[in-house]
Amino acid sequence: MSHDAHHAPVASKLDLAPERSDLGLYRPDRTRGLLDWLTTVDHKKIGILYGAFAMLYFLIGGIEALAIRTQLARPDQTIVTARMYNQLFTMHGTTMIFLGVMPLSAAFFNFLVPLQIGARDVAFPRLNAFSLWAFVFGAFVLNASWLFEFGHLAGWFDGFAWHQALTYTDFAPANGWFSYAPLSGTFGQANAALQSPRFTGVGTDFWIIGIQILGVASLAASFNFICTIINLRAKGMTMMRLPVFTWMTLVTSFLIILAFPAITVALIELMFDRQFGANFFNPSAGGQPVLWQHLFWIFGHPEVYILVLPAMGIVSEILPTFSGKALFGYPIIVFSGAVIGFLGFAVWSHHMFTTGLGPVPTAAFSLLTMAIAVPTGVKIFNWLGTIWGGRVRFTPPMVLALGFIWMFMCGGFSGVMHSSAPADSQQQDSYFVIAHFHYVLLGGVLLGLMAGLYFWFPKIFGRMPNATVAYVASGLVILGFNLAFGPMHYLGLAGQPRRTHTYHAGNGWEDWNFVATVGAFILGIGVFIAFANLVYTALKGPKCSSDPWDGRTLEWSLPSPVPEYNFAQSPVVGARDAFTEHKHGTKRIAYEADGGEAGVHMPSQSWMPMLAAAGFLFIGFGMPMMAMGIPHAGWVVVGGVAVLFAGIWFWALEGPGGYMLKTPAVSPTPAGSPAAAPTAH
Amino acid sequence: MFSRLLSRLGLFAAPLFALALAGCSKADLTVRQSTLDPKGPVAQMQYDVFMDTVWLVVVLFVLVGGLLVYAVVRFRARPGDTAAPIAEEGHGNPLVEIGLITASIGALVFIAVPTLSAIWYTDDVPAESIPKSKLSAWYGAGLDPAISEQVLEIDVIGKQWWFRFEYPQLGLTNDAKHSVPNEMVIPKGVAVRINLRSEDVIHSFWIPKIAGKVDLMPGRKNRMWIQADQVGHYYGQCAEFCGDSHAYMLFRCEVVEPADFAKWVAAQKAPAAPVAAGSKAEQGKNLFAAKSCVMCHNVGGHFGAGAFGPDLTHLASRKSLAGAWLDNRDPRAQRALEQTSPLGTEASVPVDRATFKANLIKWIGSSGIAQGADGKPTQDVKPGNRMHYYKMFNVAGLRETHQTLTADELDALAEYLLTLK
Amino acid sequence: MSQDAAHHAPTSTGIDHKKLIMWLFLASDCMFFGTLISTHLLYRKLYPTGFTDAEGHQQFVQNLFNIELTSFSTFILLMSSFLMALAVSAMHKGELKSFRRNVLGVIFFGLIFLGCQVYEFTHFYHQGLTIQNSVLGSTFYVLTGTHGTHVAIGILWLVLLYFYSFTGKLGGHVGALDVEVAGLYWHFVDIVWIIIFTAVYLVEYLGPSGIWGNGLPVLAK
Repeated sequence: MSHDAHHAPVASKLDLAPERSDLGLYRPDRTRGLLDWLTTVDHKKIGILYGAFAMLYFLIGGIEALAIRTQLARPDQTIVTARMYNQLFTMHGTTMIFLGVMPLSAAFFNFLVPLQIGARDVAFPRLNAFSLWAFVFGAFVLNASWLFEFGHLAGWFDGFAWHQALTYTDFAPANGWFSYAPLSGTFGQANAALQSPRFTGVGTDFWIIGIQILGVASLAASFNFICTIINLRAKGMTMMRLPVFTWMTLVTSFLIILAFPAITVALIELMFDRQFGANFFNPSAGGQPVLWQHLFWIFGHPEVYILVLPAMGIVSEILPTFSGKALFGYPIIVFSGAVIGFLGFAVWSHHMFTTGLGPVPTAAFSLLTMAIAVPTGVKIFNWLGTIWGGRVRFTPPMVLALGFIWMFMCGGFSGVMHSSAPADSQQQDSYFVIAHFHYVLLGGVLLGLMAGLYFWFPKIFGRMPNATVAYVASGLVILGFNLAFGPMHYLGLAGQPRRTHTYHAGNGWEDWNFVATVGAFILGIGVFIAFANLVYTALKGPKCSSDPWDGRTLEWSLPSPVPEYNFAQSPVVGARDAFTEHKHGTKRIAYEADGGEAGVHMPSQSWMPMLAAAGFLFIGFGMPMMAMGIPHAGWVVVGGVAVLFAGIWFWALEGPGGYMLKTPAVSPTPAGSPAAAPTAH
Repeated sequence: MFSRLLSRLGLFAAPLFALALAGCSKADLTVRQSTLDPKGPVAQMQYDVFMDTVWLVVVLFVLVGGLLVYAVVRFRARPGDTAAPIAEEGHGNPLVEIGLITASIGALVFIAVPTLSAIWYTDDVPAESIPKSKLSAWYGAGLDPAISEQVLEIDVIGKQWWFRFEYPQLGLTNDAKHSVPNEMVIPKGVAVRINLRSEDVIHSFWIPKIAGKVDLMPGRKNRMWIQADQVGHYYGQCAEFCGDSHAYMLFRCEVVEPADFAKWVAAQKAPAAPVAAGSKAEQGKNLFAAKSCVMCHNVGGHFGAGAFGPDLTHLASRKSLAGAWLDNRDPRAQRALEQTSPLGTEASVPVDRATFKANLIKWIGSSGIAQGADGKPTQDVKPGNRMHYYKMFNVAGLRETHQTLTADELDALAEYLLTLK
Repeated sequence: MSQDAAHHAPTSTGIDHKKLIMWLFLASDCMFFGTLISTHLLYRKLYPTGFTDAEGHQQFVQNLFNIELTSFSTFILLMSSFLMALAVSAMHKGELKSFRRNVLGVIFFGLIFLGCQVYEFTHFYHQGLTIQNSVLGSTFYVLTGTHGTHVAIGILWLVLLYFYSFTGKLGGHVGALDVEVAGLYWHFVDIVWIIIFTAVYLVEYLGPSGIWGNGLPVLAK
């Protein structure tokens, strides 16, 4: 196939007349450089930015993890203080979940979904940019707490009255990623200044506002993706022809819009407790701390599937490609994905088996949790069925995808073990649980995402990562991972509780903790090599063809890197696995008569999404500064809200804009189609 | 070639690793806090259910894992394969799918049934245990008739970062100035009901060899029951993250013969012996009052005002200090015993005075009360602890008035505390 | 190619993006208010006896509530929904003047509702119910306050649309759609209030002594 020949862009945006918005301002129109990256509304560039930030935070979260493992390598160590350790594991969990895995999944959503459904962009390009910048600023706020913490430890604030008045001086959050009240909340009656006695300092306030901002980012992105998938499918791309990754994006997005409100409300309530002396979770005023746990896990359990389903989608794309065979039982895979998402809302209390729910709820949640193993098992069976009878080609993505199945299966097995509440009462909050969810989230999700990176990297940058380095890296990752987290099964069963910064010699935990630390470092080196390989490839890797893997879905029919308009002419799809059918089957992809000389409509770049999101930066710093007692900090929050509203206001008033871009023709344009000149309007 | 080998080795590391772990003698299953060494019916029940899940999972692991390995090896691409596309199987095979779903549900029923029965069994003292467990059946004389048909109840109160144990039926309560901090004692072979409360944040009560954990929720009353069938010294730990010093919130459980239990209760109610006049201990006793230790700590027979901190009346008889983080026994003797004793780690050597005194000086000296080398209060053993009242009441202004101890005063105080047998 | 045609290429479902995303937002908002209302009802069930005021007197919620006033503001909000429907309909017909008249009415009624809420909050505050002194105060103020914030944002949005209509850019299919989407939001906020009015106010008067069984005769003042 020679699609590439037809795809050279024939018009650059800079050739067009400068465009004025409805506000009368010139719209940004750079197609390269910093200005472009700051104002872009192109889903592919936004996806790349998500990916870059996710890798940065994987690095930070990984360093935090290695600090944790170093502290635990031997008994009775004092490399970090107890509080610093608590801050490290809190930020490690929060960073990996909200700033690592979710944004990396979002990177794939952004880059792939429009390509897989045959669209030119997402439904709301500027909203997409807003999601990105809200994430970036929220992540910055959360991590800025470290800067305050280091400033505090270095004594920079010692001279300030507000600092001397603080009772609790933890500036980075130290509550765990779950922030259970009342440890994160208040206790006792509020005094005249509305300050209730509490157990933690402003670190918790940073955490609350940071997660709140990240929630806004995730919600906005999810509305956008559901809209895109439902509304922007190419002709012939029926729901049951959608690539499985797109399906899993859809399910994940629904999970986000239905699960995040619970944590949003919980965070609002906790914020009112801390900042305004409310009593939602204050036990001495009648508040029920267990309510926080319910609200948190009503969000938190679907969140697990929010993390896992995209990786499952990725693996469901890779396995058929390298088995040379269609996905076995596509409808059942899709259906079980939806069932997992649905059941995910009905099992949250299995995180709370030890809180004294009573036997009936415990039994009900035990059984429901076991039930969720069925659709998960179905997925594994169908992946097996996909390999069965195929021609398995070993490539870096395939090795990582097979690693995903292995590790995820092991994680699923230990999950079955603590779905049984009586067994869980021994495992809850022990290292067994740590082993379990790292097998699911690291061995599962991270391997899946890495497989996706190695799979689609040639599409994203048009360059092929070095396979040898990739094999070494994936070998180190899988080996180091098992060495780090395999022993934790034993440690948990031997009674080592999690979230403890040290332990005594004599409990029989010393040797396996040391092994785990060694494994963690091997894992860290492996992940670093894998990422470094990708970064090198993006900059200097060897060029490759547009379809190096013999891909099955629409994105492989496009040139690499993908031109900004994606499809020169909109495809008309006749089958599932449209591109495979096009290449090897009978149902070829047809093309609509759009594009070409008539041009395609492209959205204009805009400053407004970033301006609006910048409001969150001020809100995010203002709220913890209020809690610190810094004078006039409330005005920072007010200013942030003003910036947010101003950004949205101008966003609305500048108008959507857009310009027509001429594209090369894929197939002969039907006679008589109007040829419009490339003018901005 | 090497890289491919490494990646494939990595791929198959999981099963290899599981085997290595299972076969490795280093993985001792009877360590102090092992959940795999149950010493009572509750832990035994939880262990049995766990083993059910383990067997199920091992079978599934071998089956599914084996199939996966077989499929990957058997269906690998070979040179000379035809390039023709493989037939469409996108709809799967309904018979296979339904069969597998049914099999999965069947496998889950295999663990669901024991799970349900264990949930109810572990919820409250089973009826069949009550006749032999009620107080009249095993506790000695002097029993109030109102409680004689009840099983023994222990109130566990969690605080940052220690446990207070109260035996309300037997008069050992904080209100009666007879509470028991950090080292609970239970009779062997009878069921005991545990009531769980918290006075600040969430904690969790966990003695792995006797029972799985249940949380201590502020504003809620949780309960569980336990029973230990073997005399010995058991190790417990708070299992819910509860702030700075969560790792230091441990406790012990001494399981004794029922006859010894009554003696222990009587001993707990006895006041502390008077200290010899003119001794170093007397100097320490005066310091105990002068340095406001007395505000929080009760010493029966000497001082009676304190109710906030741990009761110190019988401090010198305890095998651990500072939320059971510091061990008052000779560590070498204890380790030697654990390696040779047929009872395993449940055996315990007596308190060692020198170790105890060193622990006391370390603990009190590092609690923000004594001065460190730089003249500032030091805090090593338990960061964030409430050993001084400005921390207890969370008032920053009181910080300036806090008391400090010199090394000599610390020594005297330790001497006094060691008289509290 | 006209602007409209470019922006409104037919979607896969035939539903416009803006309408679809608003429905999705409302689905999410349902969960949001569902969580807040659940919090209130759970605590109401747990602590049926009201709250203790600053003087230490036990206060019952029926004594606090002014059900006539709240019924009035509920009615006003419902009527604003009616006007909103008229405004949307006017926009679809291209009657800009009628649209402006009706949307001003919605804004006015919305402001009356907010005014009632502000009055209610200050009144309750002086009666002794604060956000700090009881769980009831916390759940009540945060729940109704969050709803009030939704109303305020709706008013802000409609004011923007009102002024925008004078620029001449609000018209045709796009304009009608923009107004319709704002209408969806406004109707949703109204419906949520009906639920809040029922779950927070009316249930206190159900049954001979109130649904929470606090032993108080109906409408005792």
